[in-house]
Amino acid sequence: MTIDTVQKTPSEQTSEFERKVQKLREIYADAGPISKTALENVIRGLNAGGPEAASEAPKESAGRIGARQGRVSELTVIAPLKPGGAKRMRAFFETLHGNVGNEAVDRVGTVHDMRWVFLDNDTKLLFASTYDGDWDPYIDDFATKIPDILDLQFGELEGWPGVRNPAVKDFIVKYQVQSYFWYVASPNLTAVETKRLERVGKALDEFLDKVGE
Amino acid sequence: MPALDLNEIQATVLRHRPEPYFGTHIMLRIDDARAGRLFLRRLAPHVASAANWWTAGDAWIAVAISYPGLVALGVPEDSLRSFPEAFRMGMAARAEKLCDIGLNDPNNWDLPFGKGHVHILLSAFSDTEEKWRRAITTARSQVEGHGGVSIVLIQDFGAQPGSLNPFGYKDGIGQPNIEDSGAEPLPGQGQAINAGEFVLGYPANAGVPLPMPQPEVLGRNGTFVGLRKYQSRVGAFNRFLHENTKNDGERELLAAKLVGRWRSGAPLTLAPTRDDPALGQDPQRNNDFNYTGDPDGKQVPLGCHMRRMNPRDSRMPLLTDVNSHRIIRRSTTYGAPYDPNALSEADDEIERGLYFLFISAKAMDTLEFLQRDWINDGNFMGLSNERDPLLGLHQEGDTFTIPKDPVRRRIHGVQTFNVLRGGEYMFMPSLSALKWLADLKE
Repeated sequence: MTIDTVQKTPSEQTSEFERKVQKLREIYADAGPISKTALENVIRGLNAGGPEAASEAPKESAGRIGARQGRVSELTVIAPLKPGGAKRMRAFFETLHGNVGNEAVDRVGTVHDMRWVFLDNDTKLLFASTYDGDWDPYIDDFATKIPDILDLQFGELEGWPGVRNPAVKDFIVKYQVQSYFWYVASPNLTAVETKRLERVGKALDEFLDKVGE
Repeated sequence: MPALDLNEIQATVLRHRPEPYFGTHIMLRIDDARAGRLFLRRLAPHVASAANWWTAGDAWIAVAISYPGLVALGVPEDSLRSFPEAFRMGMAARAEKLCDIGLNDPNNWDLPFGKGHVHILLSAFSDTEEKWRRAITTARSQVEGHGGVSIVLIQDFGAQPGSLNPFGYKDGIGQPNIEDSGAEPLPGQGQAINAGEFVLGYPANAGVPLPMPQPEVLGRNGTFVGLRKYQSRVGAFNRFLHENTKNDGERELLAAKLVGRWRSGAPLTLAPTRDDPALGQDPQRNNDFNYTGDPDGKQVPLGCHMRRMNPRDSRMPLLTDVNSHRIIRRSTTYGAPYDPNALSEADDEIERGLYFLFISAKAMDTLEFLQRDWINDGNFMGLSNERDPLLGLHQEGDTFTIPKDPVRRRIHGVQTFNVLRGGEYMFMPSLSALKWLADLKE
């Protein structure tokens, strides 16, 4: 995990920010009227709000590629599918994922969300996920605990070596793409913490209900 | 008959540290490739194999070589490239992956660590002072007077009253049960783990051997070692115990809750309210338990050192194959003995602490996993970001949670009680690999 923090005086920040906004306007000179108007509206709103809008968010990375914010990481993979792979995957997801697949992912415990998107006439798969920490230290755990589920989730990718094969890490990294921008509502809450807080909140409400009766 | 080639594997991989124990770590730098190989040739006959490791009583010498050491010996380029990346980079360069930052940052380490100067580690272990002195004379006479190899550090260890570690605990209990290693497992050691997790060339947990350094004669029957030197801040530890308890009885209970065992070694599962020194001393009983009856940690806290390092059958919120993260530990205590009356900040800097040898066929991966996920985090046990009370790198305000009825007790003010002062990744070659290295041509 690396964190870049840039420290500057407020006046330096303001003038640097104004230069950046000017540059942004120049780049948007080619844009259509909707974008241009929207940009000017947003800039006007910022000027009213003051220079703190110019503060830079810390950038972190999760493992080899992929972004990380606080305890949460993102993984985006775009990879070619085998002929007929999308058809097989749809059938697997429809028949089995709702029960055994979701149950396996629940047990993993670090996954906030996962999505599978078929692209380009079913020739490619986009897989995107938000999860806690790094995924690669857990690959051995996946390989011994839920290998079949992972091999069904990803086995239709061209060249998938199998989750038990140590080469699987390099395979994923090969097709991983860095997200350009990524927003996280609660970067300090892991999936486990979120579930715990849900339980705590519910228990607190029950308690307050009783006290308030 | 064990399926492992015990005549090839070094003794330290399987032989438990004796008790009492005496020993020395000698760290060497190779100044000249030819002299380095000649040294290995002289040393090889004195390096013990694991044959009959369960009955062997003599002192023994172990040898491990770092990546800069392999380079200095003139190991061919294609062979060097076949070693894992983390090993080639070295422990200091992997500091971020290991959470060795802040107080534990390699910039704060003692010499000669983290600078590529430790090429060879020789460790002599013995159960008597006399045999230890003989072993150390043997080891030193292979170095001294020959030239081309220099001693960069000599560190005696052991010889502690009661074989206690710097905080006064009996340690080294509960090693993994390695399949086909030849001896009956101790009660409670758990399911046998595939030998390939600990020795290169045998099937590991996934059913196939881990990638092995090449050529095969170099990699096979070898393993990796993570060496870590800790300074134990005994004053800070004792102050923490005093500040959070009212009398000796409470103090010993808190000390037990932090580790999961009383200082005698007796586990809280089997001795939940009162120490049982006879139980602590008995290897047939002191590890014979699981957590079926203690899912919430009311006996053994979920975040204590022992339960983190080996969760056994704990219910964990993250999918975990507990057998994938086991490591063989040879802990060696050095310096001043445990002092229950040490309370000052000056006591924190009295030289005493631990040299750990963490041994596994994937020691780098396992250490990095343990450091990040099981030591310096708590999410895997549902403890948010609480850290291991003994080995964690702590920040102001860090806590330790003791589950109990009706509500848990959360203790504030946990500090970094063991400060990292050095570390190296080493390769522990088989006896044939040692000869192969000694016979390398220009």
